[in-house]
Amino acid sequence: MASDLLNIAASGIRAARAALDVSSQNIANAATDGYVRRSIRLSEVAGASGYARVGDLSLSGVRVDGLTRNADSFRQAEARRTGSDARRASGELQAYQNVEAALDQSRLYPALTAFETSLQQLATDPVDPSLRSAVLENARTLTRTFTIAAQDLDTVAAGLQFGATDGTTQVNLLAAQLARVNVQLVRTVPGTSDQVALLDQRDSLLKGLSDYVDVTATFAADQSVEVRIGGAAGPQLVSGNSATSFAMAAAADGTLSFMLGAAAVTPASGSLAAAAQGLVMVRDAHARLDSVASSLIVAANTAQAGGAALDGTAGAPLFSGTSAATIGLALTSGAGLATAPAGAPAGSRDPAGLIALRDALASADIAGQANGLLFDVSSATQGRKLTSDALSGIAGAARLALDSQAGVNLDEEAVNLVRYQQAFQACGKAIQVASTLFDTLLAIR
Amino acid sequence: MTTVSTSAFYDRSNLAMGTLRARADALQAAISSGQRLGRASDDPVAAARVRSLTRLDSFAAVDTAASGRASGDLMLADQTLSQFSSSLIRVKELAIQAANGVLTPVQRAGIATELDQIHSELGRLANARDSAGHALFGGNAVGPAYAFDASGNPVYVGTASASDLPLGDGQTVTRGLTGPEFLNFTGASGATNLFAVVKGLSDALKGGVADPAQAARDSLGTLDIGLETITTQQTVIGARLNWIDLNAERRVQMSEARADEEAQVGGTDLSLAVSQLQQTMTVLEASQASFAKLSQLSLFDFLR
Repeated sequence: MASDLLNIAASGIRAARAALDVSSQNIANAATDGYVRRSIRLSEVAGASGYARVGDLSLSGVRVDGLTRNADSFRQAEARRTGSDARRASGELQAYQNVEAALDQSRLYPALTAFETSLQQLATDPVDPSLRSAVLENARTLTRTFTIAAQDLDTVAAGLQFGATDGTTQVNLLAAQLARVNVQLVRTVPGTSDQVALLDQRDSLLKGLSDYVDVTATFAADQSVEVRIGGAAGPQLVSGNSATSFAMAAAADGTLSFMLGAAAVTPASGSLAAAAQGLVMVRDAHARLDSVASSLIVAANTAQAGGAALDGTAGAPLFSGTSAATIGLALTSGAGLATAPAGAPAGSRDPAGLIALRDALASADIAGQANGLLFDVSSATQGRKLTSDALSGIAGAARLALDSQAGVNLDEEAVNLVRYQQAFQACGKAIQVASTLFDTLLAIR
Repeated sequence: MTTVSTSAFYDRSNLAMGTLRARADALQAAISSGQRLGRASDDPVAAARVRSLTRLDSFAAVDTAASGRASGDLMLADQTLSQFSSSLIRVKELAIQAANGVLTPVQRAGIATELDQIHSELGRLANARDSAGHALFGGNAVGPAYAFDASGNPVYVGTASASDLPLGDGQTVTRGLTGPEFLNFTGASGATNLFAVVKGLSDALKGGVADPAQAARDSLGTLDIGLETITTQQTVIGARLNWIDLNAERRVQMSEARADEEAQVGGTDLSLAVSQLQQTMTVLEASQASFAKLSQLSLFDFLR
């Protein structure tokens, strides 16, 4: 008999102890982010029967074959992809909501209404100095509202660019780490705890990358990973032990472009895609706000030029500047409002100039333009909200699916603890039996 | 077999309770503010509608003030026209007295003195001011409606017509009368005005004509036409006041309709929101209770 009971029992004890180690490792890491449940792979050790020993028993116990990492690469890829989409959608929503807040909470529309209302009130008595001052003060409020809205939009753009700069740095850091992990992975033996830990690290890094850009990962046989941005045909970010540098450039209008090495790349998802998209939105909203401001300036100043002020002189411009950021009040006194038609005597109560001003504002449809801008922004925001809700639901489901499969179930680990504890005890019993057998043989006299 | 990892269980419970709490929070905000729309993107169409309605509301408030002012000015004009007509009736009484052939020239001169008084009184009335201190009968005149020439005769210096005041929704009302509209008329001897008629009568009674009694008799017809002109213009003012009232009624109806629409579009349906909140709270409480129960369930507790 080539096998030996003590050795078999000892191998069983070693296996049970290793299995208990794995279970307690799982329990200890039940709440660790990115930790994938390990299970132990055991295999029997049995020698083949040899020459002249046909039919002999050759049992040698059990050995630990390696660690199995219970990761489903499909679910991991899904979690990355959906997570990246959800990050893009929520980042975009955030940007849109900020733009909406900048335009809506600057109270541009109410200020515009107040200005037009005060003009209407002035029609009841065009020479009343207090009504004239009211118009001028409302015009001042309106110019400040435009400035506040423009500044808020600039702040939103600055915030987005700041976030994108940080994201670019993070992408480079993660890519460099991935390249290092690749090197180590090539050198480790499959099934060892070293490799399993590196694989966890590799998947966490990929998940981290996918928060910023869309990631297409290809795994080699040695478990090293090649990463591309912008789809399977996009340029390489990480290949083997090298990472290509990723860079961001901001145009004069605030919009972003990305370069991977020498190739231009457009991230399809992740927070960098959201920042790029958000900045396009901010630019467009800014252009429309500027166009509302400039048509207000042109309409009011043209009407002013066609009328006569309270002292009978030709009307001077009401607003200065050309855009939402530069609009200012040019008139210094309410008496300068050209409520009378050109050529009217000083102090004229003829409201023809005022009517022309109100008609000019109405035909330029300033209020309608502002309302349209607010409506477009808020309905785009609503659309983004729906998308974001849907995508974050999908991403949550994908993450839960991955967690369910790869995460630690404490009940299961408790059962394993009991199972391997019993195996340990049984092996101990086997050693006791071996010892008793030995004693029995020695006791023969 | 589907296994649920422990962290997945906690994540899912967290997500579910977080969603419920967010919904309860949104409902609570809607109930406490009475507004369904926290931000424009909650319902862009409704928000745009609410913006337009609020804009119309603020314009309507100005329209209400403007029509109050217009009707005040028109009533003031109406009262002043009544004073004109009572003065004119006195002129007519005096003319009838003077038409009596038995009066002595001295007595007629006395009547003429009173007529002169009335003449200057009419001049002052024609220069009455409106509620804002502008000429009531001067159209858009900068200063007074009538200036007085060297011989004390009033000369109209106002504009040809009074301007229109908007009453909302494109409706307007002419804010007043100009002096010539009720003081100038065509008498028996062609176009004239009230001042000239009174002045002429007074001059005639002072001996300016050969037969003052006849002149007084002749003036009676002209005075009647003058009185008629004033009465006609009072009717015009009445019609305008009616028009303002009509517009005020329409404005009230429109504002009710607007308030109704605002409540429908942007307001919270309290009974619905409260019942939804109750439902959400019930589900939230139930999921909290079940989470507490389930999280106590660990196999480790039973292994001794």
